Amino acid sequence: MKHVVIIVILVVACTFLIHTGLTNIGLLPVEASAQSVEIDRLFGIHIWLVSALFSLIMVVLLYSLIVFRRKKGETGDGAYITGNTTLEVLWTAIPLLAVIVLAYIGGKSLGIIRLIDPSALQVKVISGQWFWRYQYPDYGVTTTNLYLPVGRQVKLEMTSNDVLHSFWVPEFRVKQDLVPGRTTELRITPTLIGDYKVRCAELCGASHAYMEGLVKVVSQGDFDKWISDQQSAAPMDPVLRGQQLSQQLGCINCHSVDGSEKTGPTWLQLYQSEVELSDGSSVVADDNYLKTSIVNSNLQVLKGYPANVMPNFADLLDQTEVESLVAYIKTLK
Amino acid sequence: MEHQNKSSALQLGLLVFCSLAVLTAVEFVLAITINIWQFLILIALIKAGLVVYYYMHISRLFEADVDTNHESYAYKLSTNRIGLWLFLLSDLFIFGGLLLSRINLLGLTRPELGQLLGLAVTSILLISSFFANRAEISMEYGDRRQFLTCISATIVLGILFLVGVVGVEWRLAPFGPGDNIESAVFFVMTGFHAFHVLTGVVFLVIVLRNGIHGHYSAEKHWAVEASVVYWHFVDLVWFFFYPALYLIGTIAQ
Amino acid sequence: MRKFFSIGLVRGLIWQMVGTALGIGILTGIRLLIGLPVWKAESAFVFGALLGAIFFLYGVGVLDDWIKVASGKEIPEHIEKSTLGWRRYFGVSLDHKVIGIQYLTLALVLMAVGGTFALIFRSELTETGMQFLTLMEYNTLMSLHGMVMIVGILIGIAAFMNYLVPMLIGARDMAFPRLNAFAFWLAVPAGIILLSSMALGGFDTGWTGYPPLSARAPIGMQMFFLGVSLAGFSTILGSLNIIVTVIRLRAPGMIPFRMPIFIWASIATSIISLTATQLIGLSFQMVMFQRLFGMGFFDPGKGGNPILFQHLFWFYSHPAVYVFVLPGLGLISEMLPVFARKPLFGYKWVAISSIAIALIGFLVWGHHMFASGMAEYLRVPFMYSTLLVAVPTGVKFFSWLGTLWRGKITYETPMLFLLAGIVVFLFGGLTGPPNATVSTDLHLTDTYFIVGHFHDTMFGGYVFPFFAGIYYWFPKMTGRRLNEKLGKLQFWLMAPAFIVLSLVMMKVGMLGMRRRIADYDPALQFVDENQIMTIAAFLIALGVLIFFINVYWSIQKGDVATGNIWNSRSPEWQVPSPMPVHNYKIPFVVVGEPYDYGLPGSVYVKFQEDPLHGTSK
Repeated sequence: MKHVVIIVILVVACTFLIHTGLTNIGLLPVEASAQSVEIDRLFGIHIWLVSALFSLIMVVLLYSLIVFRRKKGETGDGAYITGNTTLEVLWTAIPLLAVIVLAYIGGKSLGIIRLIDPSALQVKVISGQWFWRYQYPDYGVTTTNLYLPVGRQVKLEMTSNDVLHSFWVPEFRVKQDLVPGRTTELRITPTLIGDYKVRCAELCGASHAYMEGLVKVVSQGDFDKWISDQQSAAPMDPVLRGQQLSQQLGCINCHSVDGSEKTGPTWLQLYQSEVELSDGSSVVADDNYLKTSIVNSNLQVLKGYPANVMPNFADLLDQTEVESLVAYIKTLK
Repeated sequence: MEHQNKSSALQLGLLVFCSLAVLTAVEFVLAITINIWQFLILIALIKAGLVVYYYMHISRLFEADVDTNHESYAYKLSTNRIGLWLFLLSDLFIFGGLLLSRINLLGLTRPELGQLLGLAVTSILLISSFFANRAEISMEYGDRRQFLTCISATIVLGILFLVGVVGVEWRLAPFGPGDNIESAVFFVMTGFHAFHVLTGVVFLVIVLRNGIHGHYSAEKHWAVEASVVYWHFVDLVWFFFYPALYLIGTIAQ
Repeated sequence: MRKFFSIGLVRGLIWQMVGTALGIGILTGIRLLIGLPVWKAESAFVFGALLGAIFFLYGVGVLDDWIKVASGKEIPEHIEKSTLGWRRYFGVSLDHKVIGIQYLTLALVLMAVGGTFALIFRSELTETGMQFLTLMEYNTLMSLHGMVMIVGILIGIAAFMNYLVPMLIGARDMAFPRLNAFAFWLAVPAGIILLSSMALGGFDTGWTGYPPLSARAPIGMQMFFLGVSLAGFSTILGSLNIIVTVIRLRAPGMIPFRMPIFIWASIATSIISLTATQLIGLSFQMVMFQRLFGMGFFDPGKGGNPILFQHLFWFYSHPAVYVFVLPGLGLISEMLPVFARKPLFGYKWVAISSIAIALIGFLVWGHHMFASGMAEYLRVPFMYSTLLVAVPTGVKFFSWLGTLWRGKITYETPMLFLLAGIVVFLFGGLTGPPNATVSTDLHLTDTYFIVGHFHDTMFGGYVFPFFAGIYYWFPKMTGRRLNEKLGKLQFWLMAPAFIVLSLVMMKVGMLGMRRRIADYDPALQFVDENQIMTIAAFLIALGVLIFFINVYWSIQKGDVATGNIWNSRSPEWQVPSPMPVHNYKIPFVVVGEPYDYGLPGSVYVKFQEDPLHGTSK
């Protein structure tokens, strides 16, 4: 009995000690979304559980290892105790109840972070190797930086152009994979003005580690101003626009501009050159050829290069953007 | 189940075959008329139950051991049976996974396939199972000649099935493996199944050869039993693959 | 020279090379004949590797008996000769003890290889920026670290199950000795093919091989898929053997609830690996076919579904983690009573808990896919089922505490590793629930928190019990003890270093460090933590190195230990060490409970004659 008293005291003390420790070493990033507040609340519950269960088991374990060690010269075996049905039932039933309660709490938590605001700001997210692109359909704006007004829910409608990616800003907590061929949804309500980074959270190839982008949470006023700036931006010189697109959309990850060998053919001196296709025929790389390569790449794969690797950019780019890319490629002599 | 004698065993085998044939015909008619997938799956399950109980004689797994000496032939025979059934259980998971993939990818659509050819290869496989059962019963009652004839018939029909599916259906199909999702599912399901039919034929050929050389007796013929039970398993898988590919749903546009 | 080429492994490897070359040639020839462009590297290498594996099996000699049976020749009941010496371990043996040690050796080799990969990329991660690896090299090493370790674990548990199960139930050997040998030797070319991925461009997908990325990865990806498929087949055959052996070959009187607890663990493990493994094979083969034949199962452009792969893959890969830990947890339950001199507390409950974990484990796979885009309504049910697994796992923990309570505990090396297993598995188990509740998981998934969680469960449920088991049964295998001082040194290096490693992993994960990244942003300020993790990794490696030194030295010079050095009630310790060739020349009957330590006069097994002084050999 005295064992039990000592153990109870130690377990309680240990629980508080560990809990204090865990909650004071800064285990989570700053809370910057409504979702993060709820998630951190649930983390709080988990930390209590971890502290209590860890203390319970470790205290009993260490206590036994010390108190019941074989003393020098002692012979014989331990106490003949084969089990205790009451204890077994208790430590099956109580955890069973506990996990059901925890799961219920978890379900409620999921409901809270998935609350739908019908007036959410709609942003389409398109990802690819290794870039992020955002379209604001309400405003007709396309950018590579995600600007969000503070305090308003944003509904991210996301897809991928090629392989699986995942959208994650640690300060917002929630993440969601982007899947080619379908649209996945993520709702976030940013609550803290500041600059954050979105980093891809699903291994997506060589440069997965570097697939990041700026996420800027600003006041409503600043957001409105930024939108109007985007809308009234003077159209760029097509060649410059093409060069910018080739960087933003990851083209240059596979196509070099200096003649070096990469996954895809180099763009240097490509225009108007004679090229051999995989079926053996020869064509001239004219404007039409370049356009087709962008919007329907697998129709004409160059000999010696792998098919089915270059994604289809037909949905991602409009006519002007395609033409500006072609204009840029034409300058690479 | 203990049979009274060889002829009643053979009769039961024939009766089961007729039931399977009738069920297949019903299945086909249902598919081209009302096409309710629940009925088609139900029929497949009934056919499977018949084969598992009567042809694969699963009840033998639960017979008490006559001889508890671990080294005796009888004891090892029962041990081997358990091993074979566990192998089939494991194999079932591949086919289950393929079926689930088909459901996930195709839903209630199906590839465009020749119905007559489908019915033909299904019938061929069913008849081959009939002969396989007959071969096993013959061996159990020591009728070597009938055993050899029936095993040979099974092999011929098995090869005919492969010719029908891989040789004919695969050629005639208006699609290639890489064309669309229906074609991909079709080729992977029939491919895995055909691979098992092929290995089944190989086992049966080995058994035929050794049977010709007199290696098996009524008392000791585990290889015969094993290869026949495996053969029935392969037929059983087709009970589900056939409606899954040929019957359930509408042709994809 | 002739002696060298008579070694099975050598012949197997030579035949594998022949088979690979032949396969490449045949495939190229077929392409030529049917009018396709002749050289397609990927198809040629895949077919070559497959044929190479088959030829290896022929070359090592493990198909000989079956070929004889097929051609109608008689094969005699195998009588193992008790030839000693190391050569026996490099060729085909049908003795489960030899096979068990062969598995053990292969497991240690794979662990060393996989661990070395980790040391390499952990070195790369000590600083931000890429120091000496390219991005593809990093991804390949990281991916292979994962899969090589996993295959190593599967081989390691096969080692223990094959070595111990017949001994513990009083059988002479496994139910199917030839199948046993086949399953082992299949793992060798499987491992070689897996590692050959490095020579064919590597691959960048992580051990999970998700398409669409895996559908466009270099040719090395195919070697990964093929190697794992073959290793999976080996596991399936091995577990079939275990189940049949336990059902059919138990000693008289060994009713289910009088079996050693490790047998229950082995059954539960084998139920999973017999069945679920087929699904990882299927999912990998479907990607192989997508790559080779353009079959668009997971290609949305062809009507395919990338998430289907994840369902198929995780349907195996989650239960697989219970395959990894159930044997180790069984080893803890098996050995703890011996060192506490007390019965296993609640033996029946512990036995059932293994089965319960195995069965519930089939129902939780979706928790790997909470952020995947799978159907929303699936998330909550999987959360419930996942949390449910904690209940039988808790039963085990409480039983271990109950076993130690009021015992008479000693701290030999095996016991130290058992305790490390319990503590570290506790870390792993407690970090499970935050991953199980969906909303918190959305923050944690794909971060180092997960990496910390599964390293905890792997080390706690496998690595530490594995070392405990080796230290414990090494005398049974060799007749000598491993050195206690070196053992304790290994423990004090590995256990604290590992705990630090996993705690730091979880911390940086929660703070935002993603997993599977070759490089990380200096702005995140994780450099210090990464350096600590690297140092910890090297300390763990040092511990393993000391272990290898211990083994090498002790095999020749270790303390002789031919009797029941642990004073165990278990049958294998009632006969001399090394274990006699036929295990129990004099059979035993089970007359009592396995763990009735502390009950005066109680006996577990009774030999019909004195096993130590009856007729020998």
